Amino acid sequence: MRFTVLLACVSACALAAPTNAATAPKLSQVRHDATRAMFEHVIDIPTVIGRHNVPQMAQYVADQFKAAGFPAADIHVMPYHTASATQGEDDTAALIVRWRSDHPMKKPIMLMGHMDVVEAKAEDWAGTDPFKMVEKDGYYYGRGSIDMKDGIVAITQAMIDLKAAGFKPDRDIVVLFTGDEETNGIGAKNGATEWLDLLGHPEFGLNADGGGGGFNPDGTPAGFTLQTAEKTYASYTLTVRNRGGHSSKPRKDNAIYSLAHALDKIEAYRFTPMQNETTRAYFEGRQKEEKGALGDAMRRWLANPNDGQAADFIEASESEVGLTRTRCVPTRLFGGHADNALPQLATAMINCRIFPGVDPNAVKAELEKIVADPTVAVSRDDDNLASLASPLRPDVTEAYTKAVQTLHPGMPVFPEMSTGASDARPFRVAGIPIYGANGGWVVVPTDFRAHGKDERLPVQSLYDNVVHWELMLRDLAGK
Amino acid sequence: MKRAFVFALVAAMSTTALAATDPRTLPSKLEPAWQAKTREVFKQAIEIPSVHHRGEVPRVAKLLADQFRAAGIPDSDIHFMPYEALPGDKTMALIVRWRSPNATKKPMLILGHMDVVEAKREDWKYDPFVFREEGGYFYGRGTSDMKNGDVATTMAAVKLMSEGFKPNRDIIFFYSGDEETEGKGATLGASEWRNLTDAEFGLNADGGCASYDRNFKPLGCGISTAEKTFQTYFFTTHNPGGHSSRPRPDNAIYELADALKALQNHRFQPMMNEVTRGYFEERAKQEGASHLGQQIRAWLANPNDGVAADAIEANPLEVGLTRTRCVATMLAGGHADNALPQSAKATVNCRIMPGVDPTAVQAELQQLAGPKVQVAPDPNYIGVPTPTSPLRPDVLKAVSDAIHKIQGPGMDVYPTMSTGASDGSFFRAKGIPIYDVDGSWGISPDDERAHGLDERIPVRAMYDDVVHWEMVIRELAGK
Repeated sequence: MRFTVLLACVSACALAAPTNAATAPKLSQVRHDATRAMFEHVIDIPTVIGRHNVPQMAQYVADQFKAAGFPAADIHVMPYHTASATQGEDDTAALIVRWRSDHPMKKPIMLMGHMDVVEAKAEDWAGTDPFKMVEKDGYYYGRGSIDMKDGIVAITQAMIDLKAAGFKPDRDIVVLFTGDEETNGIGAKNGATEWLDLLGHPEFGLNADGGGGGFNPDGTPAGFTLQTAEKTYASYTLTVRNRGGHSSKPRKDNAIYSLAHALDKIEAYRFTPMQNETTRAYFEGRQKEEKGALGDAMRRWLANPNDGQAADFIEASESEVGLTRTRCVPTRLFGGHADNALPQLATAMINCRIFPGVDPNAVKAELEKIVADPTVAVSRDDDNLASLASPLRPDVTEAYTKAVQTLHPGMPVFPEMSTGASDARPFRVAGIPIYGANGGWVVVPTDFRAHGKDERLPVQSLYDNVVHWELMLRDLAGK
Repeated sequence: MKRAFVFALVAAMSTTALAATDPRTLPSKLEPAWQAKTREVFKQAIEIPSVHHRGEVPRVAKLLADQFRAAGIPDSDIHFMPYEALPGDKTMALIVRWRSPNATKKPMLILGHMDVVEAKREDWKYDPFVFREEGGYFYGRGTSDMKNGDVATTMAAVKLMSEGFKPNRDIIFFYSGDEETEGKGATLGASEWRNLTDAEFGLNADGGCASYDRNFKPLGCGISTAEKTFQTYFFTTHNPGGHSSRPRPDNAIYELADALKALQNHRFQPMMNEVTRGYFEERAKQEGASHLGQQIRAWLANPNDGVAADAIEANPLEVGLTRTRCVATMLAGGHADNALPQSAKATVNCRIMPGVDPTAVQAELQQLAGPKVQVAPDPNYIGVPTPTSPLRPDVLKAVSDAIHKIQGPGMDVYPTMSTGASDGSFFRAKGIPIYDVDGSWGISPDDERAHGLDERIPVRAMYDDVVHWEMVIRELAGK
């Protein structure tokens, strides 16, 4: 995911007016300890692509549901293979759990997450092993601590806690935890197609791999977001070929140098700014509390969507990166075959996050124009379709806002367009709205470490998140 | 070889009628029966993919040893010397001693290497490890670098033995297994294994000395007596990284690309030494009034004339002869498609003018790369500048006679500076003068494909080389 908790909004620039906050229920000591134990257990399983560990995690989570009394017939570990040319392959698994309602009044709600994590190398981390959960200075450290094993644990523990408390849902609640969101997204594609019967054709989905919130370093609330739209994820490869030869006799043309020039052009380029319903609502909320230059830029851009200078200013702000347009960035480099030979091949992977509704093929054409070098070939690495936005549903926005503000009185809530891509995409394409509605929080921006080094989660966030999901489920499946 | 074909050179202006004849179409002086034997051993050698880490070098060693054994060398004089080169690369050197029944001189060493540079099937028109004969050429990885030399030296010895030739000095054949990577075999050969290798001087079969231009004019045979120092450096950039949906203003790949562009534009200070001065004086005569000839004369007249030196360096025949050269050969960066790179690394291969301290080159590279890029030498191979080997009259005569007899009197033989280091450098550094005197040849620059794609050697050049080594051995170990 994309724990893209944004911003730096100081108070109520909110999606909904603050509600009269009920006192937040407190997690029992038993549930607290079970939550911590489960979190530690799953962080310690390196569910990186190619390591074949996801099935082990799926089985473990399934066992937690079984032990809590969910019938085995409604718990399905679904092994599947995931593979692509660029992302590698894995024998992975999804977990589907269906909590049946005795008297369903509505179509099911789906709760989503993913069990896999991005690669992490111990030598890159400062002192802790990414696959050994460590509690330090008020944080849990470990790969997946915010992306997104916290959400897996929170949903699981919330359902177990609700069941133990005798809660009877008035609609089925189905869980879909996939095993390759960070790479190929085959699990979500299966979910939106062949597993849809098993999932009961949900009315909508709540994705723990989206939403969430943040506090500023001084402890003031920065805001929570409900994710309703996401950019389209698409990767491209730049390829340069050359005859090569012996490195003692350098040629005038060199695949690595040509690639360096192409990358330089991409670095300098900015795509055209764009707005949609969600981002307009977001910026309208944001500008109310932004008094300074950033707020001025937002107001100017809202007043005139063609004001590119204003959009550029917003995009350059660390809190707003990726929200005003399509962004592309190189993420990987390969080249050469021996240190004493001129390179015959050099490639760069360009990872793009495309504004909703824009065709990834159009972005390919634009990259070709930017590079403007016939010796640099641009190709697509996937066949992803343009992502669509989900309509704002009052029941979901109210339930989310209420849960957030019960736990964090005065916390503003915004609609959000995620700059990342998640498992939500194939469901949105299939007409099932998906809302990123996690309840975890971090300190912004210092804890934005998803996919990076020393990923960490504030200790209290883990337990707040369990309560958050319980509150939402009581609201959306208990009335 | 770490050095390129010496190729470029001094053709006598008085070209004979032979110059107009395509040398590839002339019959070799090697008897047909020996051509067939040579071809068979060459085929087997080419089809062993003795790339580092594949564990195949011992098979090449066995192939060569089998030839010596069949010709009558006792097992006690055939030494298989296993060693580890790059970490995990289990390779081997072969040392064979052909004893003189009554030696009157100190031993003579003949050097070669059995490993080849990586070649990828998808990059080549045909499988690089399947031997092919087409259009007057043998194709395959190692056909010019340097299984040709391994096979030519071995078959020359086998043929001489079969003819009853008795050397008047011991001849030691030393074939290493990691010349293209670490040169550890040569390091050991020049030190720990010295009791097996100690010799008055050595002849290196790594890289044919002779070439013709596209009009079949002989360009000469260069015997390198000085060599540039081989040193690889790594350019590394680091970054906190993060999620690729939120590009940071700084990026490890962009910073590396900037450094590579600076490297591309950088030119080291032109330098001239005794050997290259002699070489360019010959070239000036040959080039006459051509633009290149004028530039060479201008530079000889004024070694500070950088413009002239740049013009010479830009000529494909003279690349690497006017100064230190460094070129980017490999790229690596990033750790996941959807994560900002935490590091990016380029391999920069340098060939440093004799007498220049590699640490000074490192400082110059650091200066051009800027403070965001770390420049460090490859810790696995620290180049040692080596002294020029004084050209022995007996070696010059033996090689000149052989070349003139096989290629005609129009093919001049002269000392030159090699642009890259070979195994010879380790022996030179330890006091054994080494001369690169292989007798194979090619069409320059079309056949200069060592380390590159579709590597090849003219069929006749392969057979000529057996005759060449036969004559050189008879001259230096028979009189």
